[in-house]
This record gives sequence, structure tokens and C-alpha cells, in this order.
Amino acid sequence: MIAKKKNNRVQDLFTDQIKDVETCLIQFESFLLATTTKGTAFETMQALSGAVAQAEATADESLRRMIDSLAGTSLLPSTREELIEIATSCDRIANKCEHAANMIVFQRFRFPESYAQDVMKIVSITREQFAILKKSVLQLFMNFSELLKDHKILDDIRAQESQVDVIEQNLYKQIFQLDMGLAERTQIAKMVEYLCDISDIIENIADKIQIMLITRKA
Amino acid sequence: MAIYLLLAAGLFMGWSLGTNDAANAFGTAVATRVVKYRTAVTIIAVLILAGAFLQGSGNIDKLAELATSNKVMAGQGEIDAALQDSSLMETLRLKSALKAFIIFACAGLTVFIMSYLKFPVSANQSITGAIIGWGLFHANYSDPEVLAENLPQIGKFASTWILNPLGAGIISFLLVFLFNRFLADRITTLHSYDKFVKIGYLASGAFASYSIGVNSSASVTALYYDANGANLLTNARLTAVIGGIAIAVGVLTFSKRVMMTVGSSIAEISQTDGFLVIIAMAITVLLMEKLMHIPVSTSQAVVGAVIGAGLTKGVKKVNFGVFKRIAIAWVSSPTVAGLLTYLVALATQAYFK
Repeated sequence: MIAKKKNNRVQDLFTDQIKDVETCLIQFESFLLATTTKGTAFETMQALSGAVAQAEATADESLRRMIDSLAGTSLLPSTREELIEIATSCDRIANKCEHAANMIVFQRFRFPESYAQDVMKIVSITREQFAILKKSVLQLFMNFSELLKDHKILDDIRAQESQVDVIEQNLYKQIFQLDMGLAERTQIAKMVEYLCDISDIIENIADKIQIMLITRKA
Repeated sequence: MAIYLLLAAGLFMGWSLGTNDAANAFGTAVATRVVKYRTAVTIIAVLILAGAFLQGSGNIDKLAELATSNKVMAGQGEIDAALQDSSLMETLRLKSALKAFIIFACAGLTVFIMSYLKFPVSANQSITGAIIGWGLFHANYSDPEVLAENLPQIGKFASTWILNPLGAGIISFLLVFLFNRFLADRITTLHSYDKFVKIGYLASGAFASYSIGVNSSASVTALYYDANGANLLTNARLTAVIGGIAIAVGVLTFSKRVMMTVGSSIAEISQTDGFLVIIAMAITVLLMEKLMHIPVSTSQAVVGAVIGAGLTKGVKKVNFGVFKRIAIAWVSSPTVAGLLTYLVALATQAYFK
């Protein structure tokens, strides 16, 4: 009975952490929308960046609670390790959002208007990707044999990462053809890289989930 | 009392068997940290003793039969004569115990040398090989009568080389197939999967430990047993329990390294297949004991079971390379032990003739 309660608590806290990371991602999307919108005041950007940082701190706290809750559960040590690995990777998404927001604010950076659409597209795909990841993590706890049989859900995450890759490559090509100094072009490219890294992290988490499933395959 | 020091070779044999065979029961579980090492060795030690106490004495007679026809243990004629004349009994007791000491020392040395050289080795097969090696010198195998008496027994032992892994392979195949067909899909949550794996490893490891107690406890002390008093031990159950204690001490003192090595090499199969393989091994070993009254190699059974489990996924998925390794052990363990014992028999012929 106690073990069952502890097991449920792990699942609840894991879900909480994923939701907190998702909140951070949503805050980051709002922040980016503001930075790509003409005329947004710097103070507004600062405030939105603060909200991203706040969401990241909450996600950090959730991660710690989730890791603490693993002690005393009936989960095997290898499963605990795998769950911690997935949770810390999810936390890296929040860290990445916070870092990118900070860099944009510190450097008072603005994406050129012509790139706004592509930048928002990247973030939108990444959010969709994360929503699928959230679903698969829940399935991992609740019905992993289904996920094992039909891993289309994980394939979808990879397909979206490929879409992000295509946008990223096109942006790089355009950026390095711009008529501006190399430092500025590199700065824009670096900002694009921050955004696309999030999609890569989500894909890596999907890979980790698939490995977890395959090693449990009878 | 000093005569009881001759038990040392059998106890050493039991100890080394314990350090090796524990890996077959809990190696994968410990190597993958499903079960803690301390928990595993406690379960193994207790259940080996339980197996030895409850059913361990079952195959003493069969091993004694092989040993008697190979002149390791006293024949009925010698015993009858000693029962008439008590002064002969002491000499007979000492000679029987000395021969048992030599056989176990040679088998033990074989296990030690081959383990040192990193060759796969089977303790049970080494004992059988040593008994036959002694017989090749003392029982005069060129005599058709002696040969006729021994051939069926040797054939029976040799047949276990095929029947043991084959049986384990078939049982393992069935267990894994049935599990995949009827049970795998019912385990839907991560927690239930982990719980299932943990209980599975504990139950299969406990069962395997019991089967090792039944199968091997007597084989490391049987040659010291004679119900009429013509050897060191006269109580069959006590003989098995002493063997069980020696094996348990091996498990408790020196099994970790072998457990980690064996466990990691078998861990390529899935976690659920892992404990089904151990159950198949334990069932086979107990069946062999029930049907053929012969102590068999648990390592052979494990290899057969691993291959059986692999076959459920198709022939291409099976690593038949493991066969090569175990085939070396099947041939080399009894051969080396036999040759070694033959040489010792040659060197000590003046005393025993």
C-alpha cells in the first residue's frame, strides 16, 4: 500500500515537472513573440524574460522533488536512473529557454523582421513536439506496452525535429548572405541555434524513451 | 579424528562449486542490480542448505555406484569382510576416505587450474571425470566385464551433456513463448513491470538455489559416504548437508566476482527472459535429478536455456558462439580431471593395490 502510494507520487511529480517545463516553454514563446514584434518595449522584454526565469526555477524545484521521491519506490535502480536521465533532459529544455531569453535581453538583441515568421514557426513546432513528448511520458508510466507496440508517437517527434532542421538550415543560409558584419551575422545564427537546440533535446528524450522500451521488450 | 581432515578436499570442491554456481542463480539479477548482492547470497545460502537437507541425498547412491565400479569406494565384498573383522574396517575406512580425497583434490585442482587459465569449467563434470580417471587405472577397463559394467553408467553421464542443455532449451523456449503469448501484454505500467521483474528474479533465484542444493550438495561429499561404516560418513542426509554447507560457504565468501562476470555476459537477453531462463535451468536440473538420479552441470543447463529463449525470436537472434565455449568445458573438464587422477593413481598404486 505504502509502496503503491510512493509509486503514484513519483508519477505525479514527474508529470508536474513536465508541466512546469511546458509552462517555461510557453513563457519563452510569449517572450519571443514580443522580441519579434516591432515596437515592443525593452522593459516588457525584461519582464517576460523574468517570467521565463521564474518558470525555470519552478521546473528545477519540481525536478528535485521528483528525484527525492524515487527513494523507497518499488522501481528498479536502472529504471530510476533512466527516469532521472529523462527528467534532467527535460530540465535542460527549461535551462535552454532561460539562457536564450537572458542572452537576448543582455545583448538587447532583436531578430530581423524578415525572420520573425520562421523563428515563431520553430518555437511553435517545438511546442507541438513537447506536447507529444508529454503524452508519451505519461504513457510510459500508464501503459508502456502500448507505446512499445505503436511508437508512431516517438516517430512524430523525430519528424518534427527534421522540420525544425530544414528551417534552421535555410535560416543559416540567409543569415550568412546578409549584408552586415560577421559578428552580427554570427550573433543572429547563435540565437537561431539556441532555439533549435530545444528541438534536438526533445528528440534525444524521445530516443531515451525508445531505448527504455526496447530494453523492456520481451 | 585426524581422518576427518580428509574431508577437506570435498569441502574445497563444494566451496569452489559455490563460488561458481551462485552466478547461475542470481548472476543476472545482481549484475543488473535488480537484487542486492547481500540479499542474493543470503537467499542462495539458505535455499542451498534447504535443498541439501530435504532432497540432497537423493543421488548419493548413483554417484556411489559409479565410484564403486571404478574402485574409488569399497565394493560389497570388502565391506562384508570388514563387517566380520573390525580391524579391517578401520583400514577400509582410511583407504576409502583417502581415495575420495584424491578424487576431489584432482577435480578441485582441475577447476582451479582451468579457472585460472580462464577456461570454462564444470565442477560436476570434473568429479565424474576424476572418478573415471581413477577407474581407468584401477578398474581395468580392458576387461570386457568391467567395461560392460561401466559403459552404461558412463553413457548415462555422457547423455546428460545432450539431455541437460536440450531439456533446458526446450523448457526455456516454452516458458518464454508462453510468457510472450499470454502475459507480456498484461504488464502495462512501468511500476508493475519493475515489480514483476523483481519478484521474478527473487523467485527464480530462490528456486535455482534450491535446485543447486538438491543437485550438487551430495556430489561434493558422496564419495565420503558409506551406510555400513566403510567410509567417513554414514548418514546420507548429513553427507548432503555437509556438502550444502561447503557450497553455501563458497557462495557467502567468494561469489561476487563470478556473479558479476557471468551476470553481465548473460544480461544481453531481456530482463523477463533472464529470470525465465533461470527457472528453466532449475526445472531441468531437478528433472534430471528425479529422472536420472545424476548431478548435472547447472552451467550447461543455463546455456541451453539462454539459447532456447533466443530461439523464440528466431534462429538468427541466437548467438551460437556460446556453444563453443561450453563445449570446451564439457570435453576439457572431465578429460583434464580424468588424466590428473590417472596420474595420481599411477603414483599411489603401491598403497592402494
